[in-house]
Amino acid sequence: MDDQLGALTVIFTEFYYWVTVVLMFLIHVGFCMYEVGASRYKHHQHTLMKNTMVIPLVTVTWFFFGWWIYWAFPTGPGIAPSIMNESSALITDESTFSAKWYVANTEFMAVNLGDRISGVFWAAFLLFSWTAASIVSGAIIERITTFAFGILAIAIGSCFWVIDAAWGWHFDGWMLKILGYHDAYASGVIHAIAGGFALGVLIVLGPRIGKFSSSGEPRNIGPRNPWLVTVGLFLIYTGFWGFYAACNIPIFDLGPEYGMEGVTYWTATNIYVTPTTLSGITYNFLMSLSGGLLAGYVVAKGDPFWTYSSGLAGIICASAGNDLYHPIQAMLIGAIGVVISYKMHYWVERKFKIDDAVGAVAVHGYAGFVGLVICGFVLNGYPSSGYSVGAMWDGSTYASINPLGQFLGAIIMFGVLGMLPGYVIARILSAFGKLRIPREVEIAGLDYEIMEDDREAEKAVASATR
Amino acid sequence: MATVTNWIDHLSAEEVVGAIYPGAGSTETLLVILGVVFWIGWHVITAKSESEKLSRLAKKRHGANDHKSNITDW
Repeated sequence: MDDQLGALTVIFTEFYYWVTVVLMFLIHVGFCMYEVGASRYKHHQHTLMKNTMVIPLVTVTWFFFGWWIYWAFPTGPGIAPSIMNESSALITDESTFSAKWYVANTEFMAVNLGDRISGVFWAAFLLFSWTAASIVSGAIIERITTFAFGILAIAIGSCFWVIDAAWGWHFDGWMLKILGYHDAYASGVIHAIAGGFALGVLIVLGPRIGKFSSSGEPRNIGPRNPWLVTVGLFLIYTGFWGFYAACNIPIFDLGPEYGMEGVTYWTATNIYVTPTTLSGITYNFLMSLSGGLLAGYVVAKGDPFWTYSSGLAGIICASAGNDLYHPIQAMLIGAIGVVISYKMHYWVERKFKIDDAVGAVAVHGYAGFVGLVICGFVLNGYPSSGYSVGAMWDGSTYASINPLGQFLGAIIMFGVLGMLPGYVIARILSAFGKLRIPREVEIAGLDYEIMEDDREAEKAVASATR
Repeated sequence: MATVTNWIDHLSAEEVVGAIYPGAGSTETLLVILGVVFWIGWHVITAKSESEKLSRLAKKRHGANDHKSNITDW
């Protein structure tokens, strides 16, 4: 910070991420509105508080250990060596991007005049963490205990998604090297894993009372407040802009970074430190949103709940490659993802009696999974990193993007780090009787006592004003 | 506790110390322990109160529409 240009670059970057964090806050506001709008009146306040508690629970655990995991786990550990220290162990050495600097009791996890980026970068990732937990929250409304959801939120928000981010999002991640994994705006890293995690929980949790008839036919429990759902989804779209920007590095000189002698090339990059432009991803964000909305309107026959959700699913499906796609590719991919996820939702619902109250598994999980697979074909042959290009399974260099690597990556995200842990943790909570609320409470409504108290208060006020 | 008592001295030092929060360099581990206790304590307290609330409500066996008699006008 001793020359003006360097200081401007640092402070611009600090401010850039700070703005993305503020924008991404709207995602959580949107999720809260959306969930409350989708739940029945007698569960409203509990539904709101459950999702609101994601904020403190994931934040403090993200501070205590989540951020450390991201920097420690890119090697697996034990799967591929780090390009920084050539070791496959956890990255906890003295290197610049080591987890050593992000242990909760280091001086860098605080106000520090020597580090103006860590805090805002930490916060940007934290907002991703809230999103991962909040995706799960919507699917399981009206029948889970707050205690169980808190544990599950911490598991997905401060543990499992972070492991997948270290593996498939970190510039040193083993999935880039061995599989050629590419997921620029988190089709898999956030959405497929959270959708898979939600599905794992739902298998154990079971449907809401009355969702299925005695013959197994699903009944529609539609949103009770469509306007709240609408505004909520618009806010999620808005926050998603911030999410896209937060996945980029705003200004970076790739010449020295790639070891190109005498070359200076300032650019925005994606999270893998390969070049893209904020302008280009803006095309693709809007075109994939449009592709999703158009396809959703058709397949859902104009149903607003699904049409809005389809806009989101369109973006999610195209997100893996939206740093490089042509806008029309992004639009078509968004549309394809919506059709597949919509059909999958109803097929899984009928076949396996899964009650996903807001379609979160479909919109995030299936759309994210499909997006990863499509990305493998459309971006086949592009380098997954700028540092070195090698072959699949090599491990010490970076494989190119390819369909098999993306498919395996999708399975890791959705299944291995998503559905499996969600299922196991839910089983443990269920075994202790802590997962699901009692049947009588579900029927009466989680807000029954609050509403009863309100009625008594109203009576008291009314009698005092006679 | 004050880590900085004079900004001119602090910023003109040969090597500016970055960490400027109270207790820098000596209290971080204690703060983390306190933070973890606060976090775990929250789970313990809320889990207990939630269990009690759910048991109490479950015993009353309200019907699916009973809540409607509690809807207030304001």
